[in-house]
Amino acid sequence: MSVFKRLFLIFGPVVCAAIIVLGFLFSPFRPDKISQSTIQKAALSQSPQVFKGMAVKRAAFRENYVPFFGSSELSRIDALHPSVLAQKYHRSYRPFLLGTAGTQSITQFWQMQGFGNELNNKKAVFIVSPQWFVKGGIDAAAFNYFYPRPEIVSWLLKAKPTTENRYAAERLLALNPKDSTDEIDDSVLRIAAGQRLTNFQKTYLHLVKNELDHEDQLFSTISLNNREALIKKREKELPKDYNEAKLDKIGYELGKANTTNNSLDIDNNFWKHKLKPVYKKLAGEQKNFSYIKSVEYSDFQLVLNEFAKHHINVLFIIPPINEKWANYTGLSMSMIQDFNNKITYQLKSQGFTHIANLTNDGTKPYFMQDTIHLGWRGWLAVDQYVNPFLTKKQTKPQYKMNNYFYTKKWQNLDY
Amino acid sequence: MINMQPYQNPTYFMLIALTLLPIVIANLYEKKIYWYQTLISFGFLLLSFGGIKWHQGIALIVYVIFEIFLIKLYFNYRAKSNNSWIFYLTVFVAIIPLIIVKVTPAIYGGQVSIIGFLGISYITFKIVGMIMEIRDGAIKEFRLGQTIQFLLFFPTISSGPIDRYRRFVGDYNNQLSRKKYLDLLEKGVWYIFLGFLYKFFIAYFFGTLLMPQVAQNALARGGISWWLVAYMYVYSMDLFFDFAGYSLFAVGTSYIMGIVTPMNFNRPFAAANIKEFWNRWHMSLSFWFRDYIYMRLVFFIMKNKLIKSRITIANLGYLTLFLIMGFWHGITWYYIVYGLFHACAIIVCDAWLRFKKKHRQQIPSNRFTKAFAIFLTFNTVCFSFLIFSGFLNTMMFHHIMK
Repeated sequence: MSVFKRLFLIFGPVVCAAIIVLGFLFSPFRPDKISQSTIQKAALSQSPQVFKGMAVKRAAFRENYVPFFGSSELSRIDALHPSVLAQKYHRSYRPFLLGTAGTQSITQFWQMQGFGNELNNKKAVFIVSPQWFVKGGIDAAAFNYFYPRPEIVSWLLKAKPTTENRYAAERLLALNPKDSTDEIDDSVLRIAAGQRLTNFQKTYLHLVKNELDHEDQLFSTISLNNREALIKKREKELPKDYNEAKLDKIGYELGKANTTNNSLDIDNNFWKHKLKPVYKKLAGEQKNFSYIKSVEYSDFQLVLNEFAKHHINVLFIIPPINEKWANYTGLSMSMIQDFNNKITYQLKSQGFTHIANLTNDGTKPYFMQDTIHLGWRGWLAVDQYVNPFLTKKQTKPQYKMNNYFYTKKWQNLDY
Repeated sequence: MINMQPYQNPTYFMLIALTLLPIVIANLYEKKIYWYQTLISFGFLLLSFGGIKWHQGIALIVYVIFEIFLIKLYFNYRAKSNNSWIFYLTVFVAIIPLIIVKVTPAIYGGQVSIIGFLGISYITFKIVGMIMEIRDGAIKEFRLGQTIQFLLFFPTISSGPIDRYRRFVGDYNNQLSRKKYLDLLEKGVWYIFLGFLYKFFIAYFFGTLLMPQVAQNALARGGISWWLVAYMYVYSMDLFFDFAGYSLFAVGTSYIMGIVTPMNFNRPFAAANIKEFWNRWHMSLSFWFRDYIYMRLVFFIMKNKLIKSRITIANLGYLTLFLIMGFWHGITWYYIVYGLFHACAIIVCDAWLRFKKKHRQQIPSNRFTKAFAIFLTFNTVCFSFLIFSGFLNTMMFHHIMK
C-alpha cells in the first residue's frame, strides 16, 4: 500500500469529522426564523439550554411574551399557574418562564446578558425566594450547572470596569475557580482588576461570540421539555369565564384533593418522593436559619441594575412559606419579617415600587403547593397582582441606583 | 498569559495536531528533528505550568534540578561501590518532596504544599525506577539530556502512564522505518479518537450528567440506600472512562511522536479475579509497584531468610504494596482503607486459587462460573471504588452537620 493511501485511511475520517464540525459551527447558513410553536414550547420548558441561550428569548420578547423570573416554584404547573391562566383567559401577554430549581439572582443576572435590547421599556415579573438569601448565596455547583459562557462573552464585549461589573467579575471568579485559563477567563480577571480589555482580547471575543451564537441557534431548541399538553389539560379544570371567587374555590378543592397523605398540606407526590424519607430528620432543623446576612443581596442588586439599565418595569413577588411546615421545622417568622423589610428597602429606595408581598399568606390553606412553593390559591393571589400590572398602563419607573448595595456592609447588615 | 491543562479542551488538541505535524512529516521521511521536539515540549510545559500556575512551574524546575543532581550523584557513587544503606538513603531522599506534598494537606487541613505541582507522583515514580535500575547495574550510562526528556516527556507528564527509562531512551534514539511509523501513527490517531469517546461522551454522561443528581439523592436519603448503590456504579464508570480516556490521549500522542508509551488499561472489568484485575487496571502503576516494591520486598525477605512460608511472604508483600499505594493516593482514611481492602481481596483470591488447585475435581469450571467470577470481581472492584471516592466520608460529615 502506498504511503498516501495509508495516510488517507488514517486521516480521512479525521478530516471529514473536522470539516463537518467546523462547517456546522462557522457556516453562514443559519436556521430559519424561530417559529411561533418553538417559542411557545421554549417559554414553558424551563430547559437549561433555553435559560442559557439567547436566540429564543430574544425572539420571544419581540412578541408578547413577558419574562417570569423565578426558580423552582415556576415548575408547579397546576390549574392556576400564570401560564395556564394567561392562555385560558386569552390575556394580552404570555409568561416566558425563566428559572428552575437552583437558579438564583446571580444566575438570572447572567442569563439576562443574552437579552439584547428586546426588553427595553417593557415589563417583567420577578419571584424572589427568601431561601436564596443564605449566607454564601448560591451554591457553586448550582451556579456552574448554568455556567453562562455565551453570556459572559457578550457581557465582556460591553463591560467597562464599573462597580457592578467588577462585582460581577469577582463573583464569577469566586464561584467558578479555574484550573486553567483561556482568553475569556483572562478577560474576566482584567475586569475584576478594574482594567479594560486589550484589542487582541476584543477581537478574539468577537470570534468566539460568533461561534457561540451559532451554536445557540443550532442547538438551544433541540429536545425541550414539552409542557403544552400539560397546560391544555390544566385549562380543562378551569371554568369558561374568569371569576376570582369561583377560581379560589377551585383552588381550594384542588389543593384539598392533592394533599391527602400528610397533615402539613403538602402535595402528595412531593411528600411521597421528597419529604417522606427524610422528614423526621428535619423536625426543628431550621430553627437557626437566617436570610438576613447574605451575599445574595448584592447578587440581587446586579439584577436590579440590569432592570434599570434597560428601563424595565418589574413586579416583584415575595412568596410566603407554608406555615405548618415552618412550624414543623422551626423556621423563625420574625426573621422572615426582617428579611422582608431589608429586601423591601433595597427595592423601594431605588425606585422599584411594584412589590407583591405575600409573606403573611402562608397560613391560608392550599396557598402553597408544598413547603416553599406557590400553588393553587397562591398562584391565584399572584394573578391579582400580575394581571393588572401587565394588562394596564403603568407609569414609567424612575430608578435611582445605589452602589451601596454592593458593599459587605449592606450584605451583613442586621435588619 | 493563558494556561491550559493537558487534553482538557478542543484547543489543546488542535495545538497538538498543528505542532506535531512537522514531527509526523519528518518521521515519514525516516528522520528525527530533536531540536524541534524539545522546543514544542518546552512550549507545552509552559502552557500547563505557566500563567495562573506559574508557581507550579517554579516548583517543577527546582524539583527536576534537585532530582537530577541526586541521580547523577548516586550514579557516580554506584560506579565505585554498592552499599545498600546508601541506596536506601538515595531512594528516601528522592521521595522526600513527594512525601511532603502528600503529608501537607493531611496536617494543614487540605492546604496544598507550595512545592507541589501537577504530576509530581508520576515523575517521582520514574526517578525511583531509575535509581533502582542504576543500583541493579541495568542503567550503564547517565545522559543528562535524555534523562530530562524522559522525566519531562509532555504527553505523559500530568498523570502517566509511567514509562521506564531504558525503554523510553530506546524509542527516543531509534529511527523507525516508514512502515513501522505508519502503524504507530494509525494506532495513535485511533487511540486519541477512542479517548474522545471515553472522556468526552461516556465519562461526561456518567460524571457530569448523572453523578451530581445521584449524589444529591444519596445524601438526602442518608445511610445505605439504592441511591448509594447507584452512586457506586456511576462513580466507577466515570473513574474508568475518564482515566482510560486520558491515558489513551497520552499514549496516542506519544505514538505520533514515535514513542511507544505503555498502555494503562486492558478491559479491566472483564477480569475474572482481583489479581487479574490489577494486571488490567492502571497497568503502568500496578506493574511499577509489582516490580519495584513487591518483587524487591519478597526477594529481600527470601534472601535474608526472614520468613519461611512462601504464602506469608506473598501476603506480606501484598499488604505492603497496597498500603503504600493507599498512602500514595493521599493520607485520608478512605484511601488507606481502599488499599487494605484490595490487599485483603487479593490475599483471599490467592487462598481461593490454591484451594481450587487442590480440589480441581470437585469444583466445577464452566461458562457460568466464569461469568459469575467476572460479575463478582466487578462488584468487588466497584465497592472498593466507592470507598476510594470519599463519598462515604462526605455522607458521614453531611449527617453530622444535620
